[in-house]
Amino acid sequence: MAKLNEDGQWIVMMGFIISIIIFILAIIVAESALVGKTTSESVLEFPKTDIQDLRSLIFQLKSNDWDDIVNQNYKEDIQVLFFDRKNAIVSYHNDSRVLYIHYNNGITSYNEMHEEQY
Amino acid sequence: MVNENAQLYTIEGISASILMLVTTFLVISSSSIVTPQETHITDMQLEQLGHDALLVLNTPLENGTSSILYQCIRDDPPSHPGLNAAFNANFTQLLNTRIFSGNDTLHFKVQLYYRDQSSGEIKPPIDFTSDGVGYFRENAVKVTQWVKMGSDVSDSDLQDKIILVEALIWRS
Repeated sequence: MAKLNEDGQWIVMMGFIISIIIFILAIIVAESALVGKTTSESVLEFPKTDIQDLRSLIFQLKSNDWDDIVNQNYKEDIQVLFFDRKNAIVSYHNDSRVLYIHYNNGITSYNEMHEEQY
Repeated sequence: MVNENAQLYTIEGISASILMLVTTFLVISSSSIVTPQETHITDMQLEQLGHDALLVLNTPLENGTSSILYQCIRDDPPSHPGLNAAFNANFTQLLNTRIFSGNDTLHFKVQLYYRDQSSGEIKPPIDFTSDGVGYFRENAVKVTQWVKMGSDVSDSDLQDKIILVEALIWRS
């Protein structure tokens, strides 16, 4: 059995420790790129502006004293365009002074009940 | 006469070389796919900028008046030349103005979608306006606005309908 030289064990240990630290730092750097990607992906995926625009359109219709809300032509315009161009199912109706809005694009669903205060 | 000293060093050297060979083989044989990580971030910013610009145009300047977008669609002639100059100028200015000198390089193509109320089908889109630059598969985003048209539209197809204004925006 050859006799091993046991000098310099401190140096060897520091080498190990530093290499492990560099490894952990590399993992953190790799993760940080993923975090930016998933955050912006979820922002793109969540239909915030779609829901805001649908609400604003329906409230614009409602401003005409419920007449436009019960107008079947407008409702079919909105439903067909939302289904074909925005891949979402929407629906709205009123029950006297209460307005119901429903939105579903398979991932996000949004339901609202709005009561008109006179 | 073979010297039998330092056998442990020999074994260590052989195992290290095998380790290195296996590592190189694994690295070379593994296929790596590099996807750019930050395209989603620029897409997100482009989408928010475009939606804001279109929303500004769809907001009336004063109570009781109609928005710039509504006026442009109302006055667009039914022959559909595909270039609404008033809307084009407003949208270009909102998208491409920089604080200091020079303009940004965003391009757009805007189309109008509406439903034919007798058949219930969506008609082929009306080319509303574009800035004349062709779209060649750059990274693009789509932003939309809804407009409720009245009975004062010059194009009778769009009268009393809710139409979808769809803008494709890309940077080149």
